[in-house]
Amino acid sequence: MTSQFVIMQLFNGLILGSIYVLLSLGLSIIFGMLGIINFAHGAFYMLGAYVAYTLTAYVCPNFWFAFIFAPIIMAGFGAACEVFLLRRLYRLPPLYIMLFTFGLMMIIQDIIRMIFGSMGVPFGTPKSLMGAVNLGFMCYPKYRLFLIIITALSSLGVWLFLSRTRLGSIIRAGTDNSSMVDALGINISRIFTLVFGIGIGLAGLAGVLAAPIQNVSPLMGMDFLIDCFVVVVIGGMGSIAGSIIGGVIVGEIIASGIMIWPPIAHMLIYLFMAAFLLIRPRGLFGREAFHD
Amino acid sequence: MKKYNAFCRPAIVISLILSMSILIVSSAKAADPVKVSVLTDMSGPYAGITATNVEAAKMAIKDFGGKLLGQDILFVYRDHQCKPGLANQKAKELYEKQKVDVIFDCPNSAAALAVSKQALIHKRLFFSIGSGTTRTSGPDCNRYTFDWAYNDYMLATSVGLWAADNLGKRWYTITADYAWGHDLLKHFKHALETKGGKLLGNDMVAFGTADFSPYIINAMNAKPDVLVLLNSGKDGVNSTKQAIEFGLKKKTKIVHALLFIEGIKAVGPEVFADDYVTGAWYWKSKNPGSKEFVQQWRKKFNKPPNWMNAATYSCVTQYLKAVKRAASKDPKAVIKELEGHTFRDLLANPGYIRPEDHMQVGKAYILRAKRPEEIKEPWDYFQIMDVMPAEEVYMDPTKTGCKMGCF
Repeated sequence: MTSQFVIMQLFNGLILGSIYVLLSLGLSIIFGMLGIINFAHGAFYMLGAYVAYTLTAYVCPNFWFAFIFAPIIMAGFGAACEVFLLRRLYRLPPLYIMLFTFGLMMIIQDIIRMIFGSMGVPFGTPKSLMGAVNLGFMCYPKYRLFLIIITALSSLGVWLFLSRTRLGSIIRAGTDNSSMVDALGINISRIFTLVFGIGIGLAGLAGVLAAPIQNVSPLMGMDFLIDCFVVVVIGGMGSIAGSIIGGVIVGEIIASGIMIWPPIAHMLIYLFMAAFLLIRPRGLFGREAFHD
Repeated sequence: MKKYNAFCRPAIVISLILSMSILIVSSAKAADPVKVSVLTDMSGPYAGITATNVEAAKMAIKDFGGKLLGQDILFVYRDHQCKPGLANQKAKELYEKQKVDVIFDCPNSAAALAVSKQALIHKRLFFSIGSGTTRTSGPDCNRYTFDWAYNDYMLATSVGLWAADNLGKRWYTITADYAWGHDLLKHFKHALETKGGKLLGNDMVAFGTADFSPYIINAMNAKPDVLVLLNSGKDGVNSTKQAIEFGLKKKTKIVHALLFIEGIKAVGPEVFADDYVTGAWYWKSKNPGSKEFVQQWRKKFNKPPNWMNAATYSCVTQYLKAVKRAASKDPKAVIKELEGHTFRDLLANPGYIRPEDHMQVGKAYILRAKRPEEIKEPWDYFQIMDVMPAEEVYMDPTKTGCKMGCF
């Protein structure tokens, strides 16, 4: 195993990490701000890919068109879900919302399967991003570099929004103490809708980005769902930095595992998560207040 | 009293005989019609390929005439969603409640093994079509189970031998990490080594992995002539798409374990262009009855059948013919008619049912997926590169490990 090979695999681990980062950002924000464990997150990711396919197939065969509008459509759909479905469940114990999102996942997956079939739909890489770039140590696909860059920009964008804008600070306050924010006269339920919409929008973005390099099929979200929860646990629920660093860590663990002995790759991340839960349950950057 | 007795006894005896004969005659008349069933994946991962096997069976029954042994042939079907536990339960229901004489299909190797055991317990027939395991015609064979059209050994050996001769002798394999993948790897490796080739490396990949890039990088590092993808469905698409991304297909040919026209249509022929795979049949086949079958199918589904559909049609037809030859639907009589029988139909020209392991053997078609610009007709996604004889691609019947017992 040459050092060049090791560098190649570790660099590629960033890609694995990127999808995890985008998905976990959404999951983490939703849990952090709303206390909802969203089992349907993988299904929304898949829906984002299918929305992108539908846009390119029937509206405008331009990848960039889908790239911009699919996340927006998904954010709107997420907001609608929050307003019409989830809002009714807030006063119930958290288990009910978990069950609901689980059921939502099954419904979304089966509806997509009934409309589009179970074998998948075509989605190619946009021409401007085809081909590979010579990075010196390897030739790397342009599209994957693009993916890494977009993930970095999105994470930066979300962090800036939450830490530097007024709306962001309201959201953060609402996480700490929603009733106080409510008492201060701010419409907290609209904030919740916004946050859920953003979380689902991020999942949709991940779906659009993944579509060219994966099989767009009804169960594509299932492969990521469990691993995303691992990322969120390692990074810390509700933490942006945690999702980013957790996602990268998980991607790199898998890449390293594959270099050593592939069957161990996935097991390693669960072992890692188990270790975290034993030693530092709140993850890297999570806040202690969550563990009640 | 004496007068009464003298009259009574004969009367009683006569009426007993009469009622017995009425009972016997009526139970003979109520000799049940032949009941055929299909147990397949209709809403699970392989539904896109196998759900239409139900129609293939119905078509076979209709083309046979719809009647057998003087009565209409009955038909039922069940969905096992590719789950072994559900398959076991449905097989029991079919044999016990529905009283079917035969079950066809059952994709998923573990499910097929379960149904095979049920067939032995209930002493009724089972024709395994969709599943690839070599165990149903090997260590787990039984007199009531038949294996039709293909198994993993045939899949691997046919395209394995051909690829080693025509594509290159340095291989890398990416294997789905479960029983089916392991079985295929064993047979592919064997085929490669008989031709003096070398397996440069193998990666076991957890079933359902979405990102194959680390394994593609591994494979490219070894610089193989051929990359063999021992997976199917979503995993097959992902590994192929990502191989293209990294430019692997520029220098290496890809061989798949399973690939169907529906899969190519779903994700687009540019993904699978110039890949190789084996099929038991292709819709351009010139076998007797093949063209008519394709025409009928096209009218109903607006697309040609895949080889699983053709295998189901052939299997049901051969069963019905065997019942006709035996003039009885008694499983033992039908089995005796099937064992050692040679036939020519749309699937196999000829096909032969081996008595040693109940494997139906026929030629294997080496298929190349066409590039988009080569496709002149809708759905004509494959080019037949070669046809390999059954003797070369099926295991020696004495070496399968099958000890065909008695009834």
